[in-house]
Amino acid sequence: MTEPRVFFNFEVTADSHTLAACRERSGYRALEKALLSMAPADVEKEVTASGLRGRGGAGFPTGAKWFFVDKKSRVVYLCCNADEGEPGTFKDRWIFENSSHQLIEGVLLAAYALNVRHAFIYIRGEFDLPYRRLREALTEAYAAGLAGERILGTEFCCDIIVHRGGGAYVCGEESSLLTSLEGFKGYPRNKPPFPAVKGLYQAPTVINNVETLATIPWIISHGGGAYAGIGNQNNCGTRLFGISGHVNRPGLYERPTGYPLKRIIFEDAGGIRGGKALKAVIPGGSSTPVLKGFEIEQVSLDAESVIQAGSMLGSGGIIVIAEGTCMVRLLQVLTRFYAHESCGQCTPCREGSAWMDRVLGRIVAGQGVKGDLESLESVTRGIMGNTVCALGDAASMPVASFLDKFRDEFAYYIEHGRSMNDGRLEV
Amino acid sequence: MIELKIDNKMVAANEGETVLQAALRHGIEIPHFCYHPCLSIAGNCRICLVKVGGRPKLMPSCNLAVAPNMEIETDTEEVAEARRAVMRFITLNHPGECGICDKAGECRLQDYHVRYGEPEPISIEPKSRKPKFYDLSPRILLDNERCILCGCCVRFTQEVSGSHQLGIVERGSHARVERLETGAFDDPYSDNVIGLCPVGALLSRDFLYRSRVWYLEPVRSVCTGCSRCCSVNVWRRNRHWHLRALGEELNRTAYRVTPFENPEINGPWICNKGYDLHRFMARQRVLQPMIAGRGASVEEALAEARRLLSESINPAALVSAHASNEELAAFQAALGPRLAVYSREDYRPAPGEAVEDGLLIRGVKNPNSYGVQALFGHRPYGVINGHDLLLVWGDNAEDTSFDGARVIRLASFGTQQEFTADVLIPVSTTFERSGSFSNFEGKVNRFDKVFDKPELVQHAGELFGRLA
Repeated sequence: MTEPRVFFNFEVTADSHTLAACRERSGYRALEKALLSMAPADVEKEVTASGLRGRGGAGFPTGAKWFFVDKKSRVVYLCCNADEGEPGTFKDRWIFENSSHQLIEGVLLAAYALNVRHAFIYIRGEFDLPYRRLREALTEAYAAGLAGERILGTEFCCDIIVHRGGGAYVCGEESSLLTSLEGFKGYPRNKPPFPAVKGLYQAPTVINNVETLATIPWIISHGGGAYAGIGNQNNCGTRLFGISGHVNRPGLYERPTGYPLKRIIFEDAGGIRGGKALKAVIPGGSSTPVLKGFEIEQVSLDAESVIQAGSMLGSGGIIVIAEGTCMVRLLQVLTRFYAHESCGQCTPCREGSAWMDRVLGRIVAGQGVKGDLESLESVTRGIMGNTVCALGDAASMPVASFLDKFRDEFAYYIEHGRSMNDGRLEV
Repeated sequence: MIELKIDNKMVAANEGETVLQAALRHGIEIPHFCYHPCLSIAGNCRICLVKVGGRPKLMPSCNLAVAPNMEIETDTEEVAEARRAVMRFITLNHPGECGICDKAGECRLQDYHVRYGEPEPISIEPKSRKPKFYDLSPRILLDNERCILCGCCVRFTQEVSGSHQLGIVERGSHARVERLETGAFDDPYSDNVIGLCPVGALLSRDFLYRSRVWYLEPVRSVCTGCSRCCSVNVWRRNRHWHLRALGEELNRTAYRVTPFENPEINGPWICNKGYDLHRFMARQRVLQPMIAGRGASVEEALAEARRLLSESINPAALVSAHASNEELAAFQAALGPRLAVYSREDYRPAPGEAVEDGLLIRGVKNPNSYGVQALFGHRPYGVINGHDLLLVWGDNAEDTSFDGARVIRLASFGTQQEFTADVLIPVSTTFERSGSFSNFEGKVNRFDKVFDKPELVQHAGELFGRLA
């Protein structure tokens, strides 16, 4: 492979996830380099120079996030957000299963840069093998003196605490992750104050995605400039893209940012199953607005390009939808998910997500009435921007975009009581 | 002081205040459900969204700290649209049963629905079903369908009373308020959640269906349950709605007692004993003056009492801790020099009653013990002092301890022992007079007359001059 690879740079074997194997591929060299020859501020400088942006979905520059934290505070916490629950996203899972040490190293580097004594990894409760792999890796790291007290014989100490989630999607939202970590019900918090000021246990807290943290060792080893040189200007580096849906080779692909969306679907993922036409793409996990097949012609996999096309790159979970799929029933799958996962704290999301689900459920059952689409639209407008956290937006964006782009299908379903695409999907 | 602009009006706000607080203080109305000045900010009802100059999204004003030169708009079309949307969501599953709901008339949801909501719902879905109308405790009914999940009651048990007995279980639209693992909701302050609830989800079992609230009016009074002397509102039938034919006794009934917000003494809370004050006052009364167990007129009873006083060699008075400061002053002026004065505690903690805690409840279970002691010192009565006449003022005195001395009683509530006194003169209760108590910190709290006294009952403060 000619392009640099941050993750897919080794062959996955039965023991490629162990410390020994990781060391062979120069694991923990970046940590050695940082602890022995770099000041914490230098680590931060490299990360800022790399132009790395958060991989969790919002795409906030990591260097800026670190900059906002008062590193002189007596306590600073680092949380690794590993509550990967966005439908269509499965990148963190791969990292845990195959390269946990890379994440641990990234966590330690970030902890070193931010003056963190205790780092937390909030891992999704449903993850079983990933959790066991992470535990194994942590045990190995502690035994090898790579975590805990006096790491690598230096003054730097950092304990890594693993917390398993209880199965709530909303706990992937950073503030509810903190609430859950503190032992409360996972309710998002109102902002301000932001976690960088008052986060976990009211202390300044940095929350980074798994992929973000696991990228940091590479940045320290190769330099921020090298990372910034990959991909295009505002979206540096490589990203893990999970392709699912009606493609021939669904799976996880590491590609530099700016890679054409069309190419990843039709070349890397082997095109649409059964040779069907492409109907739609949800480009960044289920909560991002849907794009019609023809809209992706010019889209490349970087935040700005996808935003220009009217959607978001989110967590990089690309869901490919083939011609013949019923968009009404597909949307109901999504609304059911969000209605089920709304935490119930704030009014618009609690009531609105359930309302949308009921209306769609009725339409799918053939009992839609005239006016349903208008009321769905007014519900999405009522939710969007009015909720405590982004889950309300996440629940209403798919509805708004599906209605916008496939209105005729919805109208047909309401009028005839059945789908336009009944019986024609053979995948 | 921070100056900011709300609806093009310059407003001075204190440092650390929120926009909602500043607006409410200046009489600018911003609707709110989950905000309460004494509870933490939840920011979950989203009805208080306002437009902040320079920010794209609407912000909840309850969680928005004031900043210099901030420009807030509360009446733009954008804000109105957001309020309509939130009202639409809140009323989506809120049952339209104001007609049978006790909260109707003092319900914020009802008020806001008229002001900010839409007349017709756009939803055609059936309302969702939740546990309805069941006993949260022997005192409180909970209706989860009416609940709008503002969380005020939960935060109250967590932050004010500290019992942590309520919580919100389940998530999404299945979320509902429930008792937590402890099973009971026997918090001594539990009834406060009824008033705290912005809708009719938490209802008093005592007040349930007794009256529509618009027939009632509050009168400021003081709870006599302990020496905290919390300010309360006693709700009586509005004069305009007095019953003229059937059920006239209802015109003289205290329907319920709620806290009167008094930041000096009790804040916005009272304990459950305070909520039961009207029942305390509704016990059997002494209404008939008596001489040696036989009915007499007020004049006869007074004459007999005067005779006993004049014949006595060594008279004493046991002064009630339910007496108001004004009555005590009248007593001291008229009879103080002639009598040996003892202080007495009319009521002691009942079995099982919360004796004292860090919030409101005090160990001394009478309102004016401190007023009495300030005047006469702390002097409990003992038999050995050898008095031949006792003027026993107040309730609950043990006959046996008087050891043969003659007894003149001034009592409000009747139990058997009062009727064996040599002279019995009924006196008015706290509800039937106005005055003031001094609480345990020496703070004076005044109370107004709620009802006229019954005909033969006397105000103690007016009696002493006639006894002298």
